[in-house]
Amino acid sequence: MDLAGTLLKLLQGGLGNLAAYLAAHVLLCLVPAFFIAGAMTALIPKESVTRFLGRNAPKYVSYPAAALAGSVLSVCSCTVVPLFAGIYRKGAGLGPAITFLFFAPAANILALVYTGGVIGADLAFARLFLSLSFGIGIGMIMALIFRRSDIAHDENTDTLFAKRASMQRSALVFLFILIALLLSGTLKIGLLTNAYARVTLPLSGLERFQEFLNRIIPFDSSKGQEGVTVQGVVLIGLLFLVAFVSWRGLGRISEGFNGLTWASLGLVVLTLLVASVGIETHAEGLDILFTGKMFGVILSMVFLGYIGRKRLTQDEVRDFLWESWRFIKQIFPLLVVGVFFVGVMRVIIRPEWIRALAGQNTLLGNLAGVVFGVFMYFPTLVEVPIAKMFLSLGMHRGPLLAYLMADPELSLQSILMISAIIGRAKAWIYVIWVALFSTLAGLIYGAFEDGANIWSITLYLLAFLSLLAAGLWWMSKRSAVRSAASPEVSEER
Amino acid sequence: MEIRILGPGCSRCHEVERRTFNVLAELNLAADVRKITDIKKIMEYNLLSTPGLVIDGKVKCSGRIPRPEEIKAWILERT
Repeated sequence: MDLAGTLLKLLQGGLGNLAAYLAAHVLLCLVPAFFIAGAMTALIPKESVTRFLGRNAPKYVSYPAAALAGSVLSVCSCTVVPLFAGIYRKGAGLGPAITFLFFAPAANILALVYTGGVIGADLAFARLFLSLSFGIGIGMIMALIFRRSDIAHDENTDTLFAKRASMQRSALVFLFILIALLLSGTLKIGLLTNAYARVTLPLSGLERFQEFLNRIIPFDSSKGQEGVTVQGVVLIGLLFLVAFVSWRGLGRISEGFNGLTWASLGLVVLTLLVASVGIETHAEGLDILFTGKMFGVILSMVFLGYIGRKRLTQDEVRDFLWESWRFIKQIFPLLVVGVFFVGVMRVIIRPEWIRALAGQNTLLGNLAGVVFGVFMYFPTLVEVPIAKMFLSLGMHRGPLLAYLMADPELSLQSILMISAIIGRAKAWIYVIWVALFSTLAGLIYGAFEDGANIWSITLYLLAFLSLLAAGLWWMSKRSAVRSAASPEVSEER
Repeated sequence: MEIRILGPGCSRCHEVERRTFNVLAELNLAADVRKITDIKKIMEYNLLSTPGLVIDGKVKCSGRIPRPEEIKAWILERT
C-alpha cells in the first residue's frame, strides 16, 4: 500500500514536471531554436567555415574558426564526432580539432539558448565565454603536448580546406530574423513583456478549470516548482497537434510541399502566438493581453514568410524545413523523457544532500559537479533541466556551471569514440584537461557570483594561465632540444 | 554500379540512403548499394564531413543531403 502510494507520488512528480515544463518554458525559446539550428545546417555551406581550418591558416584564424564551426555546424554528437575526425585526419591539426570538439556540444546555439531560457542569461553567457576561452586553451595545450606526432599528419590535403563557398545574403537575413524571433520571445525586458491592449472573452468556467488543474498538478513554489495554467493546457494541446501533422507534413518535405506542410507551419505560428500573449483567467472569463512579445513574434513571422517565399529557392526552404524537423524529431522525445525523470528524481533527492555537497562554492563541490557530469550520461540538452533541478534544490551556481561544462563534453561513450580516432593516450589527457578546466570554471564563476572582486579573479586566472604557459613552453623546449640531438622518426606510421 | 553511403548512422545518412533507393527504384536500375558506418573506413574516402555519397569510387557529395534530382543526374551519368 505504501509502495503504491510512493509510486503514485513519483509518477505525479514526473508528469507534473513535464506538464509545467511543456507549458511554460519550451515554446518561445526552444521552437525558434530548433528552426535556427535547422536553418544553420541547411543554409550555411560547411566550406564557408572549414576553409579557415586548414594547416596553412594562421593560429589566430584557425582557433576561433574552429570554435565558430562548433557552434554553428553541429548540435548533436552524431555530427560532432565525424566532423572532428574529418578535421583531424585531413590535416587541420590536433589543436583546432580539439577546440572544435570541446566547443561544439557545450556552446552550440541550441544549448546556449536553452540554458538562457531555462536557467538564466548569466549562466548562458558564462557557459559561452568560458567554453570559448577554455576550448581554445585546451586545443593549444593538446597541440603543444603532442607537437611531434601532429606534424606527421598528411600535408597534402590542404586542398580539402580550400574550397570556397559563400553564403547568400538572403539566407543570412533569414537567419538573423529567426534570431530576432527568438530574442523577442525570450528577452525579459519591459518593452517586450508589457501589455499594450487587452481583450476580454466572456468564457465562464475557466476559473474552475484552473482550480482543477492546480489540484491535479499540485506544486510548491518554494521548491521552484511551477503549476500549469489554462494557457499551458492549450499550448500542450497545440504541441500534440503540431507533432501529429508534422509527421507527414514536414517528414516528407523532400518530395515537395503538400497540404499538411502548410497546416503544420500554420499550427507552429499559432502555437508561438498563443505562447507570446498573456492570458489571465478570472470569474467573468479570460483576458488576452497583447504583449510586446506578440508584436515581435508577428513582425518576424511576416518577414520570414516573405523571405522564404520570395528570396530563397524552394530547395533551400525544403532543406531548411527538413533539417529543423529532423532536430525536433531527434531531440524533443529525449527532452520529454528526460524532463519526466527529472521530475521523478526531484521527489527522491533530498535538498539537504545537494546543499551539503555542493551548496557552497568549494573545490569539493565543483569536483562533485564534474564527476557527476562525467559518469551520468544524459542525451543532448537534457543536462539543462537537470541543472535546473539541482539549482532549485539548492546547488550553488559555481558547481552548477562546472557540471554544465563537463556533462556534454565528457561521457564514457564519447571518451571511447574519441580515443578510437586520436588514440587512447591523447583521449585521456584531453579528458583530464577538460575535468581540470571545468572545475576551474566553476570555481571562478562561483567566486564571481559570491561577489568576489573581478580584478582579483582576473589576477588569479592570469597567474594560473601564465604558469601553464611557462610549463608548456619549458616542455616544448626540452622536447625540441631532444629531437634536435637525435632526430627520430615520428611515431605515427 | 557501386554506390556507397558514408555515415556513422545518423538520420541524415538514412535520408541519403532513402533518397538513393527511391531514385534507383524510379529509374528501375539495379546497383550494389552499401552503407559504410566505420569511421576509419569513411575517412579513407578523403572527405571532411558526413553524410557522403560515393558512386563508382568517386565522392559525389559530402556534408549535406543531396536533392533527389542531383542523385538522379549522378546515377544517369554512369549508365
